[in-house]
Parts: sequence; C-alpha cells; structure tokens
Amino acid sequence: MAQWQEVQQLPPTHLERVHQLYTNAALPMTVRQSLADWIEDQDWQQAAEPFSSHARMLFHSLLTLLGEQLGSLGPGDEDFMLKHNLRKARIDLQAAFEEHPENFANLVANLLQEERCILRRAQAKGQVEATPAPSTASQSSQEQEIQQRLTEFRTALQEAERAFRHMEDLQDTFDFSYKMYYRPGQDHSHDPQYAQHIQALQAKLQSLDRQRREVVAQIQQLLGRSETLRDFLQQELSAWHERQQRSCLGAPTDTCLLQLQGWFTALGEGLFQLLQLLRAVGELRQKVTYEQDPLQSELPLLEKRLQEQLTCLLQSAFVVEQQPCMPNTPKRPLVLRTANIHIDRDPPKTRGFRKFNILTSSSKTVLVGDSPREGLVCDFQYLTLKEQKGGGSGKGSRGTNEGPLAVTEELHLITFTLAYAYCGLELKLETSTLPFVIISNNNQLSSAWASVLWFNMLSPNPKDQQFFTTPPPAPWPRLAEVLSWQFQSTAERGLSREHLHMLAEKLFGSKPPPDSALPWTKFSKDGAAGFSFWAWLDGILALLHDHLKQLWKDGLILGFVSRKQEKKLLKVKRSGTFLIRFSESVLGGVTCTWVEHPESGPPAFRAVVPYTAAELASLALPDIIRDYQLLAEENIPENPLLFLYPDVARDEAFGPYYSQRQEGILTKKKEYLNQRLIRVSSRQPHETWQTQEELVMTTEDLETLRLNSGGQQPVSPGTVPGGDRTPGTPQAVSPGLQQAVAAGLGMQQPGSQIPVLPSPQQLGSGSLGVLQTGMGDLGLPVVLQVVQVGPGGQGVLPIGGGAVGPLLGSGTAELLLGNGAAELLPSGLGDLEGLPLQEPELEVGAGQLEATELLPTLDDSAVLLDPSDPFLPQSEDVALPATASLFTADGDFPPLHIDASDFQ
Amino acid sequence: MQPVNPLVSSAHKDALLLWMGFQNPECLVKPLSRRHTDPSVIVHAMLLMSHRGGHQESKKKLEISPSETMKAEEENYKEEAKEPKSEDWRPPSVFGAADLKNRAVGLYNIGQTCCLNSLLQVFLMNIHFTKILRRISVPVCATQKKKNVPYQMLLLLEKMQCGKQKAVSPRELVLCLEAHRVTMFVQYDAAQLFLTLWNLLKKQMKNPELVEKLSDLYTISVQEHLACQICSSETKRNSSMLSLPVPLLDSDSSMLKTLEKCLQCFFRPEELTGHNMCFCEHCGKKTPFQQSVKLVHLPQTLTIHLKRFCFGRSAYIHKISNCLPFPQDLDFNAVLTEQQCQAYDNEKAAWRYELFAVVAHSGTTSYGHYCAYIRSLTECKWYCFNDSFVEQVSWDDVKSTYGHSDLYWGQTAYLLFYMKKQPQ
Repeated sequence: MAQWQEVQQLPPTHLERVHQLYTNAALPMTVRQSLADWIEDQDWQQAAEPFSSHARMLFHSLLTLLGEQLGSLGPGDEDFMLKHNLRKARIDLQAAFEEHPENFANLVANLLQEERCILRRAQAKGQVEATPAPSTASQSSQEQEIQQRLTEFRTALQEAERAFRHMEDLQDTFDFSYKMYYRPGQDHSHDPQYAQHIQALQAKLQSLDRQRREVVAQIQQLLGRSETLRDFLQQELSAWHERQQRSCLGAPTDTCLLQLQGWFTALGEGLFQLLQLLRAVGELRQKVTYEQDPLQSELPLLEKRLQEQLTCLLQSAFVVEQQPCMPNTPKRPLVLRTANIHIDRDPPKTRGFRKFNILTSSSKTVLVGDSPREGLVCDFQYLTLKEQKGGGSGKGSRGTNEGPLAVTEELHLITFTLAYAYCGLELKLETSTLPFVIISNNNQLSSAWASVLWFNMLSPNPKDQQFFTTPPPAPWPRLAEVLSWQFQSTAERGLSREHLHMLAEKLFGSKPPPDSALPWTKFSKDGAAGFSFWAWLDGILALLHDHLKQLWKDGLILGFVSRKQEKKLLKVKRSGTFLIRFSESVLGGVTCTWVEHPESGPPAFRAVVPYTAAELASLALPDIIRDYQLLAEENIPENPLLFLYPDVARDEAFGPYYSQRQEGILTKKKEYLNQRLIRVSSRQPHETWQTQEELVMTTEDLETLRLNSGGQQPVSPGTVPGGDRTPGTPQAVSPGLQQAVAAGLGMQQPGSQIPVLPSPQQLGSGSLGVLQTGMGDLGLPVVLQVVQVGPGGQGVLPIGGGAVGPLLGSGTAELLLGNGAAELLPSGLGDLEGLPLQEPELEVGAGQLEATELLPTLDDSAVLLDPSDPFLPQSEDVALPATASLFTADGDFPPLHIDASDFQ
Repeated sequence: MQPVNPLVSSAHKDALLLWMGFQNPECLVKPLSRRHTDPSVIVHAMLLMSHRGGHQESKKKLEISPSETMKAEEENYKEEAKEPKSEDWRPPSVFGAADLKNRAVGLYNIGQTCCLNSLLQVFLMNIHFTKILRRISVPVCATQKKKNVPYQMLLLLEKMQCGKQKAVSPRELVLCLEAHRVTMFVQYDAAQLFLTLWNLLKKQMKNPELVEKLSDLYTISVQEHLACQICSSETKRNSSMLSLPVPLLDSDSSMLKTLEKCLQCFFRPEELTGHNMCFCEHCGKKTPFQQSVKLVHLPQTLTIHLKRFCFGRSAYIHKISNCLPFPQDLDFNAVLTEQQCQAYDNEKAAWRYELFAVVAHSGTTSYGHYCAYIRSLTECKWYCFNDSFVEQVSWDDVKSTYGHSDLYWGQTAYLLFYMKKQPQ
C-alpha cells in the first residue's frame, strides 16, 4: 500500500502527529495529497545531496505536475478551493526553492522519513495491543519475525531498485554530456567554456561513481539480511522435516507445507528480482566504466554470493512432501518439480544388498502452472519395483549372497533429481525420501515397520542406509512416546502413564531407572515368551484395530496391567468387578479378569483364556461380556462379570456397544429359530480358572438358552456346536475349520510370531506396494512390498489400487493378503469365511492340528450359520480362509505341516 | 538501449583514466601509491591532497566555481585553522557519548576500502577508544596534520558526528595512511590492517599517558612456557598480543565446534617432538619440549582473530567457511583451566566479556567484501555497517556470520571484539 494511503488510515492519535508535521512544513499537505504516488516514487534522499542536478530536475517536474493537476481540475465548486490551494502552493514553492532545489529535496526526504517513523510507531503500538488477541497469538514469534523480515526485505529491494533507477539516470546524463563535450586531443587551453564543461563532466562522473558505490553497498546489505532470513527458513524447514518424520511414526503433527512454501517463494522471488537487478547493473557497467569502477570489482562477488544463496535456497526447497507409502491417499502438492528417480543412488557397498529397479516411467516434466495448486509438484504414483537379480541366480539366490542385514533391516532410498532452469540459473537439485524397507511378503510387514520405527526414532542422519549394522538402543522416554503414537494412530487413543509404566516394568524390571534404554534386538528379536516385545505389541495393535477400536478409544480397556497390579486393583472391589487387559502370554490376546470374594479365605481372581482375533471375529467383545456364562459346579450358568473396573455396571458400560438383538419379527412365521453365539466357561469344583468353551446356541428367544455343557473336557479346545442338532455332544473339532486356521497361520510362515495379520486397511497391505509420495494419517507408510514371482525371480508388483487381481498369474508363488484378495476366492469357499468357530486356544490345541488335511471341507457347523446373521463377521474381516484357498489352487506348494512348536 | 560507448569502453579508455587520475583524487590511481618510497612522489601526493583540501590553486588554474561540498570543506579547514594550535586543545565534547551521537553513520567505499571502513567503525564506535582519541594533541603544521593518523581519525569522527549525511568519505584518512606506506585500494586482510592501524596510532600518539591507555585498552598479556620433557627445566617469556589468533581446526585437522573450544585449543600445551625438538641447555642436546601459553592479562577490548584460512595441498590458501558459533557472553574462567592462567583472582574475576563487534568477510581469499556488525555501547543495539549503508539489525543477523559449510560466498565472522563487562 502506498505510504500516504497508510498515513491516512492511521488512528486519530497518530494522525494528529501527521497534521502537526505538515502545519509548519513548507510543503502543503494539498500538494502531498494530490501528487502522493509521484512523490513517493522519487529518490529525494539522493537529490538532497549537494552537487545534485537531480534535485533541480525533481523540483521542476513537481511544478510541472502541479500545473497539469491544476489544468485537469474541473470548474466545479468542490474543486474551487483545491485549485486555489494548489495554485498558491505552486507559487510559494517556486519562490522559496527556485534557488536551492536541493533544500526542497531535503525537506521532502525528511517529511517522508517522518511519516514512515509515525507509521512504524503506530504499527509497533498496534502490535502490542494486538498481541493478547488470539488470532495473532497462534503465530509463533518466529513466524512473525519471518513475516516481518520478508516485508523488510521487499521494502529494501524496492529501495535498491529506486537507487538503481537513479543511477541509470545519472549515467545517462553523464553519457550524454560526455559525448557532447568531451573532445580530447584538441587544444582547449584558451577555451574557458570547455574547461567549465569538463568540470561539470567531472562532477557528473563523481556523482555517478558515488551512486554506484551506494548501490553496491545496498545490495551487499540486502544479501546479508537475506542470509539471516534464509537461516530462519532453514530452521523452519528442518522443524518441518522433523515433524514429517514424527508424523510418519504416527504422531499427530501438522505437516502442511503451505506456509513454508509461501515463505520460500517470497524469498526466492526476491532473490531472483535481485539477480535481475544485478544483471541490469552489469549492463550499465558495460556501457560506462572507469578506473576504480566499484562495479568492476564488486559485481562478480555479488553475483557469486547471490547465486550461491539462490542455489542453497532452491536446494533446500526441493522436498519429498509425502513419503512413499502403500495405501492410496489424496495427493498434496510438492514444493518443486521433479524429474528423474534413482533408487539407491549410492548404494552401500555391502555384499548382498538387494537392488531394485523402478519399472514404471521414472521421469516427468513439470512446468509452472501445470499443477492446479500452488507450487511445483510432481506426483509419482503407481511405481513398480523390481528386484535386480544377479545372472543365473534363481529363486533362493538370497541364500548365496546373503547380506549382513536381514531384509527388513535393509534401508532403501529413492532419490529424486531435478534439472532446474529459471532466469538463466541452471541447477541440479536432489532430494531423497526417508529410508524405507522393501519386503516381499506381508508377514514381514510387522518387523519392517519395527525397523522404520527404530530408524526414524533414533537415526541422527536421515540418509544412513547402514543404520542397522549398529543400531543404537532407544532411550525409554523416546520409545514410550513413539509407542504411544502407534496406539494413537491405530485406535485414536495413546498410552497413558500407567500403561507406559507397566511396559517399562515389563522391559526393564520393576523400578526402572529413568535413563533405561532398550537395545534393538530386545525390541524386535528376542523375547522370553517366544515372541519379541514388538511382535507382542503389534499383535495387540492389530487386535485393537480390527476388533476393539471403539472400546479402546472410549477407555473401557485397561489394557496394560501386570498380574500383580491387577490383583492390587481388584482386591478392594466387590465381587464381580472385572477389567479387560491384554494377554502377556498370547500374541494379540485380550482377556477379562474378575474378582470373587469367597465367604472365607482370600479373594480369588479369575480370568478367561485370552480371546484373539479369531474369536473376536465371530463375536464382538462386548457381546462376549454380556453373554458370558460360567458353568459353576451346580451347572447353573451365571455371568460373573458384573461391574467394570472401577465401579460401572456391566450393561451401563457396554450397553452402547452390544449388537442389536434380533428380536425377530413376531408376525412373521418363523421357519428357523434364532441363533446366537455365546461364550461359556465351565468350572469344576476344584478347578483353576483357565477353562473356556464355546457354544453355538440356537435359541428361540434370547432369554431362553438351552445350554449343553461341555464341561467334561475342561482343557480341551473342542468346538461344541450347540443347539438342537447335536445336543450335549462334545464333538470333535471340525476339520475344515481347523484347516482354515492352520493354513492361515501357515501362510505367515511357521515360526513367525505374527498370528494375526494386521488389517489391510490399516497397514496398507491391501493395496500392494503403492509407492507414491503420499501418506494419510493411516498407519505405516514407509513400507514397500515386492512380490516375487516364480523361479525367474522377477516379481512385478503393480502398485496402487486395491486390486491384486491382475497379479494372479500362473506362477504366483506367494501372495499377500488384503481385503482385495478376498474377491479372488472361488465362490464356494466364500462360505468358509463365515465360519465362526475357530481354535480358541492355540497353545493347547496345536497338537491336534498336525495331522489334519489341507483341503478344507465344509462342516456341519457351517450349515448352522445363517450368513446374514448380523452377529457373524462380514467376509472382509476374515482373511485367513482366503489364504487356504490360494494354496489349494497352487500346485507348486507342498501341503503345509504345522508343527506344534510353532505356536509356543 | 544505448550502444556501448566506444570512447569509454576501448581505445579512449586510457585517456579517460588519465583524466580521472588527474582530476579526481577520489579515484586515485594505484601507480602513485606504489611509488611512495620515492620522496618526490610523496610530494606529488601532497599536491593532490592540497587540490582537495586547500583548493585555491585549482581554483585559480581552472577557474571553476567550487561546488557546495567543496565550500563546506573549505570552511571546515578554515575553522581548523582558526582553532588554537596549542597542545592542550580539545574538541568540544570530550566526555560525551562519542558513538552514535548522530545515529550510525556510514563510510563511503572509495575503492576497496570496505576492510578499512569496517575497522574504522569498530574503532570509532568504541567509546573507550574515542575517549583516548579525543585527548590527542593536534600537530602544529598542516603537513604534520595530514600525516597524523590519530588526528585524521579524530577529524573523521567529528565529521561523522557533525554532518547530517548518512555517510562520509574517509578520503583524508586514506591519503594519510598512504603517506605511511599503507597501500590502499587493494584487498586487505582485516587482522593485518587492524595491527597496522593500531601500530600507527600508537606510534603517532605523542602523549605517553595516552599510549599507555591505548595499550591497556587492547593488548593481551600472555606467558609462554617452554619446558624440557627430560630435565623439567622451564623457560618463561612474557609477551603481548593485540589479538588472540585462534585456530578453527584442532591438531587432527577436524573442525572445532565452538569458539570456546577454539580458545581451549589455543591454550592447550603442545608437545614438540621429532623435528620440532629444541636444544636444552641443561641436557646439552635436543630434547622434546612442551610448549604452552598461559593467560596473564586480558584488556578492556579483547580481539579474537578466527584463523579461517588454511593451506590446502598445493600451497593454495582456502577459506574455511564452516559454522563456528560464538557466544554473546564469554567468561574466560569457564573456558580455561587453572593451569592455563597465570593471574590473580581479582584479575580473573574481571574476565567476563560480552560481544561488541564482529568484522565479517564474504567471498574467497582472493577477493571479497568486509562489513562490520557493531553493538552500540550506548544504545545496546546492533548495527550493520556495510560501507555507506548502515542498518539496525538483530542478534539473529549477527548469528548469520557463524558461517555455513555450504556457503562459500556467504559472510563469516573473521575478527571478534569482546568488551569487558562492568563489574556488578
């Protein structure tokens, strides 16, 4: 905004000052008002210098302009006074300053400066008043500082341009006089006029020289300030990089680039403008130069310094806005354009480091204006990765050139390079993604993610591909934070202090010192229980995401409670008080513990065998709790779960989560009886609390349960189909069902510690390996997948979409599961998914699985189930049977033999 | 667009140059200054000065009406002439706040003088220095006046404070320095020029009391120890330094991270073994020695010289532009150990400093630009002096002179001036 306009908008107190300023000024306010823009455009400061012919020129221009203004005014009454005032001002000014126009220039320069001073003071005061307001409070002081400096930079740039224009004028005048009057080689000793001309010429050169030095000093100063500004932006950018890294780990942070982009653009524009200015100055030097010309020596320096700054700025402005990620999320703009991709541009020179090619088009051209949004953005979507294989090595070649690092500890980078050309500045910019892990099978996902967590949490260098040769231990506070983010991003509720305390005790023993640190192997590899700490947590995360999200979010699950702590909590509560916690011995298990106060003796604590995803898939936890029955010795079933810890009635706590009861439409003739599944535990008089069985009930009415006890085999994992058809017969486990479970587990490789696939939606396995620069708030980004096909070893993975369909060629060796995969099932097998009956207790039942046949058959119990029953899971929720079907279709694979030891 | 002026650009350039050389003392040509050893040329230079200062001759010769500034200058000189020439003459404001009385004033670059300008600003913004400067005795005759560096510096100070201009030209001082064989209009190393300037000042201040004050203000006292590692005999030597030349690389050629580390490295004892062994009188042979420097006294204004230049493989000097943070507050007691000091407690108690000025260099060893960041001692605000361009800045701007390993042309601090804190 023009200065005079700003002045007029000042609050009254400050406006008063302006009036005072003009009361005694020789320049009437009328003149200031009518020629406001012109006056502000001139360099009065320069003209105020003695020697200046500029002052006279300006003074006469002003008088001429005033004359024109007078002429343009109409005869109307409103103009009458103005006309009079202007005419008077013109006469007065002419009389006062005709002799010494530089005094006039000085006067105007001072007035303008005073105005600026008043404006500044008003703004400063305004800021002080505005600071308590919430709108400005949201901006950090650093942001304000940057904004202010950008404004100052622009103002200084305008001043430099003005000084440049003045220099141009001076040079033109000098050049003209030089051509007119300078006649060397002739004898002028008797020509006094010539000497006078030479003298004037000399003076002109002097002032030109002075102005040149002035411009150079001004640009030096401008460059100095822009360095500070660039430092600030750099700081903000590294803060952003950090935020991005944290948000990759699931932290709830803002990774919007808009503001940074605005700042970088503003500074970049300014610097390019300065570059143009420097070039224009260079052109002036081409025309006139002389000994000790400041431009001669200083211009190259200035240009080099400026170019370096621009390079530095542009280099850092080229960022990967969205890290590669598998699920398809909406795109956001990058800051600059990209062209070529090189994956692992400088691969670590280690034997056995896998190499990958990107199969899809890897170069793009982006021009300004291509993108609908601001900034130069390039999306690389649907990239395909292919593993490079050494000649002659077929499948299993990894065995021969085994690297020192496990596949999931191998870190890869995608480097984007950009040939940047703008305003004659040609640069090669480069940026890299964060390191990611390439896996070939979904069962590696969990450990791959562990690597990603560890790296982003601890690596000081975001490009250190050799990080896992010597992974540092994680300090507990840092790890605790990151773990909490996992829960936050998976189930929208982080870990409480009590949770973290329990985890710390689990890892470091009771009373852990505050500076405890967890080594990488202890986190992801070793584990006393047969699975690592991370596998355990990841199992819980998957369970939470798939089945318990709402309960966890609403805080109904106490979750991480040690046995000891649990007893302490429940001891003081009345009988039937229960809490829900995660199992420490079963992967991805959740259980209820309740307290009973017998008439004599100490309180007894009882807990059901942990429910895993397999059980919860068929019956939701709130329903289990509602219908849970304990068969006491008298065989009168009762629900021992009465109050949720600390003291909430069961139905009050879980009421909102119960499935709607199918009351049945009474008017309709019933062809079938209603059915529902409930969980029952039975207890012998002297038995421990670890018993549970499962019943399928067919009920006519939900209040009347016709129960059949399965109590004779308390430790047996047998499935007891209930209802009319097989009343009271503790039947053998249905083979087909077991098959599904077994095969499902087999897919995850025997011995692997991940019994339950994390939900595809969450983990992105559904859309296989979408290498796009994009990540939603959903879960685990930096994990890529490669599918290996056959012995040729060239797994081609179309990345993107949710469909795995086209992949299913004849040679597909392994296929990762996701919700997309379910569609591929032969239709007849679809029913399998509906099977609610699953192995409740793998640890005990595993022995029986060994001999079972691979081919799934439909069991009687399946017939029992009405596929439309709302209690039953929808097909997407159960991915495991689908795996089995794939195996049956694939002749290359031997039948799986499940070893009991796999499930320890 | 205007075509390139043939007269200026090519054949007739020389003509123009000569003309400039004669007519324009501001753009003094180099050959003059190079021949200063020849007395006749000195006279020539004087003549040039008299063209500018006295002006009567040129007026007569060329019959040109003098311009406004020339008039003003003439008046200036007349005033000086009127002033009593006695030894005890003092400028009017002896004890007033010398710096920034009239806002910060720039100095015109009159041809590669950015280094000199920066140092002059550091001198003249230092009120402790200007207090001394204002007490100098004025030389009697005009020739001496023109050759007297302290006097010319004082004149410049007065000019900066009296005028209304945003910048003044240090022309007379430059000419004066030229007269003392200080070649001007060439690239300078600020540390070297600082030493030269200071020595000239000290030499030309006639009053011994002032000389002592000047020394007190700037010189650092250290004790050099040389100890034979065989017989433990030790030789000590006291010496004075104008600045602490601290290295940026330690003995393993790795970058030091902070100024404190650089100082520690400077005061770290060094083993002289192998080729560096010295002859020990007691042992009667060359023995390994330990060489160390102990700090004895620190002055009011402490100068630290960051040795940002290092020799590459091929004798080619390159600049170290890496980041070296320096603190605003520096307490030597926290930096040095007991063994590295040789001072009484009351001396050491005063070793608390705050940053006063930074002379920053941008560019390479072969050519570049100097500017000065100075914290006004009266206002406690930072200013950046870029020749004629002066601007108030913030500490963040000063921090931008820490350096950056990626920016070879960016500005990096070269000389640091710390001021002793007032005891609380």
